[in-house]
Amino acid sequence: MAQAVTPFPVAAQLKPPEQAIWKRAMFSLIRAKWPLLALGILGVVVVMALFAQQIVPRDPNRQVLVERLLEPFHRDENGTMQYLLGTDGLGRDLWSRIIYGAQISLAVGLMAVAVGGLMGTTLGIIAGYRGGWVDDTIMRIADIQLAFPFILLAIMVLVVLGPGVWNLVPVLGIGQWVTYARIARGQTISQREKEYVEAARSMGAGDWRIMLRAILPNVIAPLIVIASFNVASAILAEASLSFLGLGVPPTVPTWGGILNESRDQILAGKWWPAFFPGLAIMLTVLSLNILGDWLRDFLDPRLRGR
Amino acid sequence: MGQYIVRRLLQSVIVIMGVTLLSFLTLHLAGDPTYFYVSERASEEEIIATRIKLGFDKPLPEQYLNFVGGLLRGDLGTSIRSRKPAIELVMERLPATLELTFFAMFISISVAIPIGIIAAIRRGTAADGGIMLMAMFGQSMPSFWLGIMLIIFVGLQLRLLPISGHVPIIQPLTEGNFNEALANLPSAIRFLIMPGITIGLFSLSRNARLVRSSMLEVLSQDYVVTARSKGLSERAVIMRHAFRNALIPIVTMLGLEFGFLLSGVVVTETVFSWPGVGRLVTNAITQRDIPVVQAAVVVFSAMFIFINLLVDIIYAQLDPRIRLR
Amino acid sequence: MNAKRLQLAVLLSALAVLVTVMPVFAQQMPDENTLIIGQSVDVGALDPASVNSRAEANIFFHVFGTLFEIGDDGVLRPYLATEYSISEDGKEWTFTLNEGLTCHDGEALTAEDVAYSFERAMDPANAFTGNTAGFALPAIGYQGMRVDGDLQVTVITDRYQTPNLRLALISEVYIHCKDSYSALSLEEAGQNPIGSGPYRFVEWVPDDYIRLEAVEGYTLRPTNFQTQIWRVIPEASTRVAELIAGNVDVIANVPPDQIEAINASGTAEVQAVAGTRRIYVGFQFGENFADAPGYEALQKTEVRVALQYAVDVPTICETLLGTTCERASSMVNPPNNNPNLSPYPFDPAKAEELLDAAGYPRNADGVRFETTLMGPRGRYLNDANVVQAIGQYLSDVGVKTTVDIRDWADYRQLISPKEVGPMFFLGTGGGTWDALYDMADLSGPDAGTNYTNWQNEEWFTLWDSLANIRDLDEERTVINQMLEIFYNDPPWLLLYFQPDFYGVSNRLNWNSRRDEWIVIYNATLK
Repeated sequence: MAQAVTPFPVAAQLKPPEQAIWKRAMFSLIRAKWPLLALGILGVVVVMALFAQQIVPRDPNRQVLVERLLEPFHRDENGTMQYLLGTDGLGRDLWSRIIYGAQISLAVGLMAVAVGGLMGTTLGIIAGYRGGWVDDTIMRIADIQLAFPFILLAIMVLVVLGPGVWNLVPVLGIGQWVTYARIARGQTISQREKEYVEAARSMGAGDWRIMLRAILPNVIAPLIVIASFNVASAILAEASLSFLGLGVPPTVPTWGGILNESRDQILAGKWWPAFFPGLAIMLTVLSLNILGDWLRDFLDPRLRGR
Repeated sequence: MGQYIVRRLLQSVIVIMGVTLLSFLTLHLAGDPTYFYVSERASEEEIIATRIKLGFDKPLPEQYLNFVGGLLRGDLGTSIRSRKPAIELVMERLPATLELTFFAMFISISVAIPIGIIAAIRRGTAADGGIMLMAMFGQSMPSFWLGIMLIIFVGLQLRLLPISGHVPIIQPLTEGNFNEALANLPSAIRFLIMPGITIGLFSLSRNARLVRSSMLEVLSQDYVVTARSKGLSERAVIMRHAFRNALIPIVTMLGLEFGFLLSGVVVTETVFSWPGVGRLVTNAITQRDIPVVQAAVVVFSAMFIFINLLVDIIYAQLDPRIRLR
Repeated sequence: MNAKRLQLAVLLSALAVLVTVMPVFAQQMPDENTLIIGQSVDVGALDPASVNSRAEANIFFHVFGTLFEIGDDGVLRPYLATEYSISEDGKEWTFTLNEGLTCHDGEALTAEDVAYSFERAMDPANAFTGNTAGFALPAIGYQGMRVDGDLQVTVITDRYQTPNLRLALISEVYIHCKDSYSALSLEEAGQNPIGSGPYRFVEWVPDDYIRLEAVEGYTLRPTNFQTQIWRVIPEASTRVAELIAGNVDVIANVPPDQIEAINASGTAEVQAVAGTRRIYVGFQFGENFADAPGYEALQKTEVRVALQYAVDVPTICETLLGTTCERASSMVNPPNNNPNLSPYPFDPAKAEELLDAAGYPRNADGVRFETTLMGPRGRYLNDANVVQAIGQYLSDVGVKTTVDIRDWADYRQLISPKEVGPMFFLGTGGGTWDALYDMADLSGPDAGTNYTNWQNEEWFTLWDSLANIRDLDEERTVINQMLEIFYNDPPWLLLYFQPDFYGVSNRLNWNSRRDEWIVIYNATLK
């Protein structure tokens, strides 16, 4: 965007050149060891998700009832290891399901954040920029959203529409939009009177153009930080909704769903069907949080250099 | 200030209307709730008769206006399933849910503040790293899984705490039975610990991190540096200057925190057989007992609004720079 | 330094927590006069005329008497009534009551009260739903009641019906007293049941427990424990943990995979019983599914028969239900089924052969035709997993099956309007006392419970002819004939009768029943 012929020379000056950001980010990452590890874990998960179809050793939904609940690294009488992480209660390959689960859980998390982030940012910037009754209306809707306990709304919508990825994503997204809206609004109000916005306005740029090209780039940093935490909480929320029977249908493997289907097995002493998806959730959420922390420290100038 | 409160209360009426309209529409989107009130083997005539009996044959706007009319008169309708006033059903479960929520809040704050401060003061040491790692783990576990683990290991294997159930404290208090509440207290707390941790661990971890980072921010501020250079003892610096200011973002969080914890009760009450509103309302949703859902939604959002108003007022007391308008 | 002080404070508070925790080593075990039962759902209300769930019926059965009692062996025995007589045309049934009966508030229980119990249930002003008003009494063709004296009361119906079936349905009406209940509003009646059975209602803490106390001097049924506490424990793992810890005596709905853990605990054992609930996959004949995938193929009797061979029911039982079970050969529970019919064996080769012959060979992808199997989650034993397993078996013989699983609350909405298909998984309650009770699902092509919209003319003609048959042997012949029709032109993919698992504490002598009822007044300590 910065490379485009910009009518906002002042704005362009305020932003550091892109390359420098990437270079600084890289150095900062290498200096702090934990975020690097987190990035590595997330990298593995993303690769698993992207190439699930190519990696999986077996069809994740293929059942062999007589081979149910085999232990991890179990070898059959020929000494071959058919199932790396064992099988679940229907005799499906746990490893394949976790790989596919990465794809769907990540997709759900990212899409929910995309829905919530897009909606919240748009409304927040409009509210902050326009002010007046537009601001009042949007913020009142935000109040309604906040006063409605998220889980009740989620249960209601999912009970009514039925479980499924395409019902889950908007629900999780709607549960988040207020956070983005409030921050975007606050940032917009503080940017609204800055000289580069004034400059753009005096050059005859329309409101939408100003909001999109001048304000948005300057309010996006804190929103990205929030987004990284919210991907994590969307993955956890999906797990909780699975427990209530409202996640995705059991034919679609998600980490939360696999974990939930195996909750009876914990007491039965069969630890693996609950352990591995739990581990996957924990590592991913942990990594996202660590990375979010680092990103916040990196992007927030007040905290930089600590 | 008084004007501010009146204005906020007026706004909250609009918010509550919005909330009830939202839940009303959602529940009716599902189609005819009548099928939840007839036997699996009922005939077509019975189904039609039941629909008329329950008033589901009327147009939706009329049904909603009837509800709003009732709400304004303070009447939230009668539970279809149990034939009791819906608000009564919610109020008789509310004490159990409040006990759980407040206890979780208590655990969360009373642990998060000290460990957050320790982590901030000892920034970069093993203690800091350990506390922050634990906090990260606490934020990465689905609550039902944590609850079942606690039941199996702490309840069943170690036999340290009761597995499930509830001993009331608030309910005898509301009946004026102070002695009973006091007698119940020790066992009530034992029953509260595991579900309290299940709900509270996530926010405990989040708060610990919040305390740490806001302490760090405050400790680097000019006035703290000045206080230090004036030769004040480190304890005085932290307690009198740093802590008070670090509290501000935490208090801001509390209001939202309450709503967040309320969301956690649905799963936790199910795992620990806790007789609270979370289970009432989940069952009411699956059974389409619409008056009960509406009553619970009204009570929850009213509580949320009230607590946030309270938080805003406390906030203004803590930070003299803020004026309520 | 101050951090040290803070650490000390943390340590102290941790200690305080531990001190509160420690004394619990002695847990609150039930004493010898108290029996604790764990159910998975709470009652909605406690009005004896409004029975909406098994959990409610279990409480009512201990608080209220019935005219006759359905035993666990399917035999009907006198209870509040000593005997009955049937009028010439079979439409009027007169019951004679025991002398000296009372309700729990001391009111004498006479014929007038029995009549009131029926009339109150059916009074349109009360708008009752559920088993009594919605199923049992309409099913006998209830017309009204007549009081013939202090101890004689007559149930008037509009038709003849086979005696065992009618007696069982009448025995599902819970008897309560007129004076006490006519003084109560509907709301009060739903909170404070005034019973006529061996146990008296004391307290209901919603979603927590119901407490019952033995009625002193009750002679019709034993009261071996002074107190019964019916706890609500929704999560299966929690229920099992409480049983193993010895805090609960009996639990229902043990997950099959946790049976071993209970049996190995040394404190409790699992009782497995062959339940009466008939689990099947229905083939949808209704026109509104005409465009659904596989609908056309499934209209062919040959295809429906072929699919019976494709599913390995015994293996499903052993792996997913944790027990061995015999595959159903009809919709009727043994021993009332047709003994000449043997269950379809698992024979995928034969299934493929029959599908080839029916005109559905495998195409290049190995697919014969595609279809959808709908099923619920959270209603029947391990339902979602069984549905997925069936989908796999059908796909294995080339019928590519998409499994569509819905939450029970969502699914049950689709069942009554018959909006499930082209194949759907369902379980409907059955009985041990009469074949016709089980066959009443298909009492007419338009019957509300004919969920498949099955239109076999022969079957329905024979069903109608039953109304005129009084001779039980002749009736049996027709029943067997009908079940054969059902077997050869199957509207259901026959599966199994749902096994039920009860976890029972080792301190208890008690036998579970086949019909999902928990009748526990006869339990004793070992």
